[in-house]
Amino acid sequence: MSLAEAQDARIGRPPKLSGGQIGGILALVVAIASVPVIWSNEYALGVLITGMITLVLNTSWNFVLGTAGVWNFGQLAIYALGGYGAGLLMIHTPVPPVLAIIAGGLLSAAMSVLLAFPTLRLYGIYTSLLTFSFAQVFQFIVVNDPKGLTGGSFGFPTVRGLYSFLSPRASLDAYYWTMMAVVIAATLAVTWIRSSRLGIALRTVRDAPGYAAARGVSPLKYRIIAFAISGFIAGVAGALYLSYNQSITTSVMGLTPMSIDVTMLVIGGLGTIWGPMLGTGVLTGLQVGLADYPGIQLTILGTILLVIVVFMPNGIVGLISAIRRRVGAWVTEGEGEDGGGDEDRAEAEETPAGVEETLGAELPS
Amino acid sequence: MSAGMPILEVRDLWAGYGATMVVRGLGLTVETGETVVIIGPNGHGKTTLLRTVTGLIRPKRGEVLLEGERVDGKTPEHLAGLGMVHVPQGDQLFPDMTVEENLVMGAFLPAPWKDRHRSLERVYHLIPALRERSGQRARTLSGGERRLVGLGRGLMREARILMIDEPSLGLAPVAIETVYGAIREIHDTGTTILLVEENFTHIGDVADVVHVVEMGSIVRSGPLEELSKDRTVVETYLGSL
Amino acid sequence: MTSFVGILVETIVLGSIYGLVAIGMTLIYGTLRILDMSQGSMVMIGGFVGWGVLVVAGWSPVLAILIAFVITFAMGTFTELISVQPLMGRRGFDFEMVTFITTFAVAIVFANVALQVFGPFQHNVTPVVRGGVDVYNRVNLSYQNMTMALVSVGLMGGLGLFLARTRWGLAIRAVAQNLDAARLMGVPVMKLYPLTMGLASALAGIGGVFLGAKFFAYPSAGDLPLLEALIVVIFGGLGSLSGTLYAAYAIGLIQATAEVVVGTTWSLPILYAIILLVLVVRPHGLRGTPSEARL
Repeated sequence: MSLAEAQDARIGRPPKLSGGQIGGILALVVAIASVPVIWSNEYALGVLITGMITLVLNTSWNFVLGTAGVWNFGQLAIYALGGYGAGLLMIHTPVPPVLAIIAGGLLSAAMSVLLAFPTLRLYGIYTSLLTFSFAQVFQFIVVNDPKGLTGGSFGFPTVRGLYSFLSPRASLDAYYWTMMAVVIAATLAVTWIRSSRLGIALRTVRDAPGYAAARGVSPLKYRIIAFAISGFIAGVAGALYLSYNQSITTSVMGLTPMSIDVTMLVIGGLGTIWGPMLGTGVLTGLQVGLADYPGIQLTILGTILLVIVVFMPNGIVGLISAIRRRVGAWVTEGEGEDGGGDEDRAEAEETPAGVEETLGAELPS
Repeated sequence: MSAGMPILEVRDLWAGYGATMVVRGLGLTVETGETVVIIGPNGHGKTTLLRTVTGLIRPKRGEVLLEGERVDGKTPEHLAGLGMVHVPQGDQLFPDMTVEENLVMGAFLPAPWKDRHRSLERVYHLIPALRERSGQRARTLSGGERRLVGLGRGLMREARILMIDEPSLGLAPVAIETVYGAIREIHDTGTTILLVEENFTHIGDVADVVHVVEMGSIVRSGPLEELSKDRTVVETYLGSL
Repeated sequence: MTSFVGILVETIVLGSIYGLVAIGMTLIYGTLRILDMSQGSMVMIGGFVGWGVLVVAGWSPVLAILIAFVITFAMGTFTELISVQPLMGRRGFDFEMVTFITTFAVAIVFANVALQVFGPFQHNVTPVVRGGVDVYNRVNLSYQNMTMALVSVGLMGGLGLFLARTRWGLAIRAVAQNLDAARLMGVPVMKLYPLTMGLASALAGIGGVFLGAKFFAYPSAGDLPLLEALIVVIFGGLGSLSGTLYAAYAIGLIQATAEVVVGTTWSLPILYAIILLVLVVRPHGLRGTPSEARL
């Protein structure tokens, strides 16, 4: 199952950003970082923090989708596992919160890896069903709480936050900047991986597993890596959720949050770098805007999802890329027989031949 | 629709897949009652030509006219309604339907549907092997039998033009004989035929005009006798005629 | 033994109704090659129609079935036109996955609208056909259950006949088996697709009337049947009608057994756990090799 990727990264080399682009990104980062200093609305900060946690989750989900070509519907369960795992550690052991969070991430990574094995034998929709079933079973176990561990649907007992030694307001700010750092770290990690040799190997395995195996690149190994990385990031996100809210409930999993996250991913643009950010941002804004109308929130969400996907199946990022491509083709028109546009791009990207060109002698063993 | 207008006319047609053009500036006409045969090496656009004419592929450039009216870019189902019958390469049968069901699908359109029982009789009469196997599932048939089903299916409705793509493909000589026997009979009823072939051996009895297609366009045309006297054509395509 | 017979009865009833819902999904997958996530909504709508007709208006059950058929047929056609048709023939994305999402979006909207209109409560549907017969040692087979099972089986049989004997049934099978060839025969696929989805949705809608009568009508009533229909379809091998049937009864059996042995709350997770196991052991479901349509 291959996706039409609309990103600009050139394979084999990190994306070349012009000085202007780097400057722009830095300015953006500085601007976002100064929000808590300028704006003291605690509710808004809370929304932003929660949004960033979701963004990290979405980044992880987008990563496994883009590199493994797999819709891992168990991602929310893995996210929750990170939270519950970290929480249990904090309650039952003297482990400091930071380590507990990392441990949560590792636990999620392990569970994710476990999930990776069967998905290799399945294709497309069967993988979705498998991961979805897993999520349902996991949710059920947590809700029914056979050993009294998770608190079921009433929620988990309270844990200490990371910054309980600070004042509540300062703690809020601290969480904000922490989340910013995590978002940046996760995004950088994902971006760097995508254009590294690891990323090439992952995409090869995704697009042409037979070819990869013939070249000595083990599909199993690389799928495990992809799942492990995405699992870790999701687990850390879940643990941070627990840490920030000082508790966690089963409502972080389930169909509703899944629908919302899927919408975020799709609107932003699947498999792209900026996609999760755009999607998470747009939808969080929407949810805030519609906070006074809880009833129709989902209706509007569904309608937007439908409309956006029908008109822009590749999300906002895809739309922008398509526009740039069309403009580029229009500018260079008359030089060839091409009508340019989507068909050709899709043809070129989806064949293993595209993979061939870029691999050369680059494959790691 | 005046007398003397060709049934099918193709003008400067460019078509292909993605950015690759396989049919390159091809033009031809087919007159009523004629049997036009297109030969040429594999991959040079013969099948793509038929698929473009019948609407399965959109042309990048050029025109297709059916009795003077432009039909390029229209859907296959629309063109079928206009009387185009395409017997595709490799049969394209409905694998889990019986022979009879496959044939009956040939008469799907509203008008032919009413006459389907009569058409079925006619086809069974023309190709008796089909009657014997009428209840058999298409996926269990042999290559030759499938070819006959495909042909029969194409005969279940009246065709302004019947297009047949490589009827001898992958068949043993005996089977080819049977298939071309049927084609000959169809030709004799005066049906306009556009035939694509790689194998030269059997077209002699039916071909009125032969076009040689190379690299996506027509390079030689003429009656078969004339072409078979040309050494280069003979060597390249005929092997041993 | 009593429980065994009880399980058997419940299996047949549940399996028949699930079969009705699932067969629609197989029909859709066979022709459109999509997994229609709005089929659950059709079940839910059917449930509410049943409630409205039987309880609120007090009309006959036959009318409930007919009205449900008409309404869900229209809804299904509409859904196809807005969430599937616009994506056809376009390139550059994974059609199967995107339509999964768009039909899912439609389902979200339907469920939410129902929630706003009817509220989150479970609406009881009074039994239409009262009474029953004791089949074995106090195992009661209600006439209502019997009727629903029989009608479901009858409808499935009717669908089979429709596909085998009629012009449009043949056309649907043709499209499922070879799209290009079907178009060459003149089949108007752009009309066939919405009709197929309408038909499938109508079957699900009738199934919804039954399920609503058996349990309740409520806005999330479509979730379980959708998941179960998905399981049935994928288990049975995508696009295979006979496989779908086997799988429907198999799942009915699993659920009926689980309900008796461990209680209702555990039945769905057990189902999922079994799915997990089967998919790990047999990646292509019970019956099909992937992407083989066998309509």
